[in-house]
Amino acid sequence: MNVQMNSNFTKRKIPLNDNSFYRVIEYLDPLLCNLMSRISKSEIDRIEEIRLRAEKPLMVCMEGVDFYVTRNSKLTEENIDSYIVSTDNIAKTFQILCNYSIYSIEKELKNGFITIKGGHRIGVAGKAVYGSSGIETIKDISSLNLRIARQKIGVSNKLLKYVIKKPNTIYHTLIVSPPQCGKTTMLRDLIRSISNGVPRYSFRGIKVGVVDERSELGGLYRGLPQNDIGVRTDILDGCQKYDGIMILLRSMSPNVIATDELGDSQDIKAIHEAIKAGVKIIATVHGEDIKDICTKPNLREIVNEKIFERIIILDNSQGVGTVRDIIDGKSYKSII
Amino acid sequence: MHLIKIFGSLLIIISSSSLGLIYSRRFRDRVNNLKLLYNCIQLLETEIVYSANPIPDALDAVYRKGNKRVSYVFKDIKEYLISNRSFTLLDSFLNASETLKERMYLENEDIEVIMSLGRSLGASDRMDQQKHFRTALVQLQAQQRDAEEKKDKNVKLYKSLGVLIGFATVIILY
Repeated sequence: MNVQMNSNFTKRKIPLNDNSFYRVIEYLDPLLCNLMSRISKSEIDRIEEIRLRAEKPLMVCMEGVDFYVTRNSKLTEENIDSYIVSTDNIAKTFQILCNYSIYSIEKELKNGFITIKGGHRIGVAGKAVYGSSGIETIKDISSLNLRIARQKIGVSNKLLKYVIKKPNTIYHTLIVSPPQCGKTTMLRDLIRSISNGVPRYSFRGIKVGVVDERSELGGLYRGLPQNDIGVRTDILDGCQKYDGIMILLRSMSPNVIATDELGDSQDIKAIHEAIKAGVKIIATVHGEDIKDICTKPNLREIVNEKIFERIIILDNSQGVGTVRDIIDGKSYKSII
Repeated sequence: MHLIKIFGSLLIIISSSSLGLIYSRRFRDRVNNLKLLYNCIQLLETEIVYSANPIPDALDAVYRKGNKRVSYVFKDIKEYLISNRSFTLLDSFLNASETLKERMYLENEDIEVIMSLGRSLGASDRMDQQKHFRTALVQLQAQQRDAEEKKDKNVKLYKSLGVLIGFATVIILY
């Protein structure tokens, strides 16, 4: 019986990447869906973005490089015989994406993106229409960017021994990375591990509150997280960081607060509040390395105050999610 | 001999009156169905304007919460819509117009009110959707008044017509 349990556990660890792509293309115009479904399996698993632009070739982005999609569903680097997306394709795709109901995605459209079931983000570009209180809607949609969210379970395993602080807490952790290097995926997995616990390090698992401003971490759809984000995790979806952090501090008594992409002074203020309350922080920030962060005015503060005890630098050198360095936040010395 | 004649005449009168009665029912049904549909449209308005539920879910909710005598048409519309991704919402409404005519005895103007709603449903923000709903509901009320008038005029007419034709047939035959 023990053997059976073990093999089930191993099976669960394998991410079902296949489904993500197929689920996303179901939202495309049936013509496009057909075309995309005939792309070769090995390529499908690595596609990160599908880009539709009116009257321009259909393109996909795979591991940071973009390719044209030909009318025979082949991916090429040359613009030969590529399928040209019509405005009709885009209109039909948008209709399906908003479930025939533009009013239901009103709020999301103001931010320029929609989140669909599975936590996938669809960026929308077109003509902005302004109302009395800022952007009201986007009409005449001309571009759609379908980002395929793939949860990778286990990518943060190698970080755990640096982040966990015995007996039962963690260090304030900052993940620094340039765009498209897997920082959100890494953050998500880190949250999952900390929330569930890590038996290997006798770490029981602690309460994590997540402020998921852009619905990427939990991928909430109708209130249910589409990603495995941990058993002790509470998610505030679509909430601005300052508001979210204050709410979580009051309502969810978290041990850890996690959020993506720190940027402005309000975010920093919120982090200070959380630290005052004795809560640990995990956050991410755009940048190449510590020097790069110091050039950004608001972030310089964080570095100088030495709030974060562990700084993890990611890059793309050996594929997405490569851990280039882990730095101790007090001494600024590398600890790997 | 006489008995058979009397029996036959009775049969003719009864069947002709029944035909008249059945035909007059459609006027009464139109009045009722319009009332029930009005309620359904109000339910749809709540689903869309206040809860911002997407169309397929809103249609489903109307089917469940509305009076089943008419709300099944909303289920049909939803099923048609999701059966094929290339169908538009208007296509699905148009597909339902036959049911509205044949099974609910609605007139062309009644159906047109619902079709115009179907044209603008889901295509704008909640404030704007509410405007379209207001228009549709006001128009439906006007149609209801029209239906009441027609009912008052016609129900008696066809009932009497049925009986009279029955008698006339009997007299002519004998």
